[in-house]
Amino acid sequence: MPAGQPPGRRRYTTELSEPMQFAKDSFSMALRERLAGLNPARIVTLSGAQRPAIVVLENETPTPAELLTECYYIEWGPMRVAEAVSAQRPLCAMDCTISYCSRGTVASGVDRGRILGELDRELFMICQPTVTGKYDFSQSPNANLGSGAFWTLPAVDATKTTFRRSDHDPAVVEHQAKVTVFFFPEVETI
Amino acid sequence: MSNVVVRPAMVAVSRRVRAYFAPFDRTANRPAIFDPGKHGAFLLDAPPSPWIDLGEIEKFQRTSGTEVQAMIAGTTGTPAGQFRRALDAKVEFEFREWGKLQMALAGGSEHMNVLALDPDASARPSGGIPVGAVGVLDGSTTNEIVLGAGAVDAFAVGDMVAVDLDYAQQTGWVGTGVASAYVKDPADVQRDRDYVRRVTFNVGRVAGKTATSLLLAQPLAGGIPLAGASVQKVVAFVDREGGSFFQDWSALFVHEEESGGRVCLYYPRLSPSRASGGATGKFQAEARSAIQEPLAVINLHASFLAMPYVDENDGETVLCYRSYFPAEMSAVY
Repeated sequence: MPAGQPPGRRRYTTELSEPMQFAKDSFSMALRERLAGLNPARIVTLSGAQRPAIVVLENETPTPAELLTECYYIEWGPMRVAEAVSAQRPLCAMDCTISYCSRGTVASGVDRGRILGELDRELFMICQPTVTGKYDFSQSPNANLGSGAFWTLPAVDATKTTFRRSDHDPAVVEHQAKVTVFFFPEVETI
Repeated sequence: MSNVVVRPAMVAVSRRVRAYFAPFDRTANRPAIFDPGKHGAFLLDAPPSPWIDLGEIEKFQRTSGTEVQAMIAGTTGTPAGQFRRALDAKVEFEFREWGKLQMALAGGSEHMNVLALDPDASARPSGGIPVGAVGVLDGSTTNEIVLGAGAVDAFAVGDMVAVDLDYAQQTGWVGTGVASAYVKDPADVQRDRDYVRRVTFNVGRVAGKTATSLLLAQPLAGGIPLAGASVQKVVAFVDREGGSFFQDWSALFVHEEESGGRVCLYYPRLSPSRASGGATGKFQAEARSAIQEPLAVINLHASFLAMPYVDENDGETVLCYRSYFPAEMSAVY
């Protein structure tokens, strides 16, 4: 039992990074699996391996190489308490930005708007249903945590991010979508 | 040594409410039953029979007006017990989607199918004398109306149709599968052969055709057409303020689960009512929900009174049931 912990009392998980990571991983894996089912051809090759075109930037090796087109890049914001429904188990939220762009599939690039529209459509489809089970992906096989994560539908806007390239490259069309992911952190009992 | 147990929160989070209705059997005075053990975990887009998905609803409110009174006893006038009287529960919400059932439930009285009009007929607010009906042949189902070669040409893909029996001068409830109106005297409905098809809930949209039949986009709400039924084209729906008929339906509302826990609210029998109407004191039949001015969604405002039902398990008279399906692995208390 941790020092200072009253006997028989539930101990709130003070290390919030773990449940936050569970929610992040569960969300991105859900999107990845859904994209693989929706459009198996929407793949990218990273570090020599092919995978569905969902990339969580903070999980990749830092590289100065240009980001890939027709690929969804996920950036996470900090966790916050969205609703203190319970002092021990608040409803937590994290904002997520999903960026994607296209140069088109023909040399002239005249279909880049259509491709971007298709990426919009696929994003909306893989974001529904707006719930997924929460898993611990740090162990094998993955552990079902029994709880879930849920989120808002993507709101596509023109907010600039560090990944916006259309400012200096007119051949690129780009969208950024905002999604807020909600989850309850797990609780340990002693 | 720690014993680590994962406990998802016992908080019900939902972003929308789904409404399902099923016909109340007025002849047998029996509701459609929602058994949480049998039906509770159903896929929200595929409700179990006979429940009909009427889409998302907004501004869902349940109110209880049931009185709880104390029995006062003794010289000191202290409470000796309590009892309930004047059971009263109401439900109020807005349908976001318009359709035959949504209009009928929001309107509350007879709901009319406006049959395609004979061009020479005189005008009436709920539809004049219609184009003649086409007889339905054996072998029809809730999704396919067999008419025969040639007869099927009277209808085109995209048409709405009403399928039901000719009115045969009877009195009482009329309408296949769903009591759609009550006829007290055949003279009231002018002995109109098409009257049942004017009010029936057996309506559908023609999504396709074969050489001999119409293929409907959705199954007929009232069930398979009865022998002797006919079909007529429908061009619109009409409900009316007034009338003596009250719709009677069983209802199920589900708070769509986001955090894992599902809440279901079952009303064995709901009858249209009129809510207080908030600040105006009047019932607003339609509500405007702005999208981006001047665009707005027009919602159908509906309000119901819960009618009593005797629970077979203990003989208690109740108005509604609330069931909760906890999230996986969550604590039970």
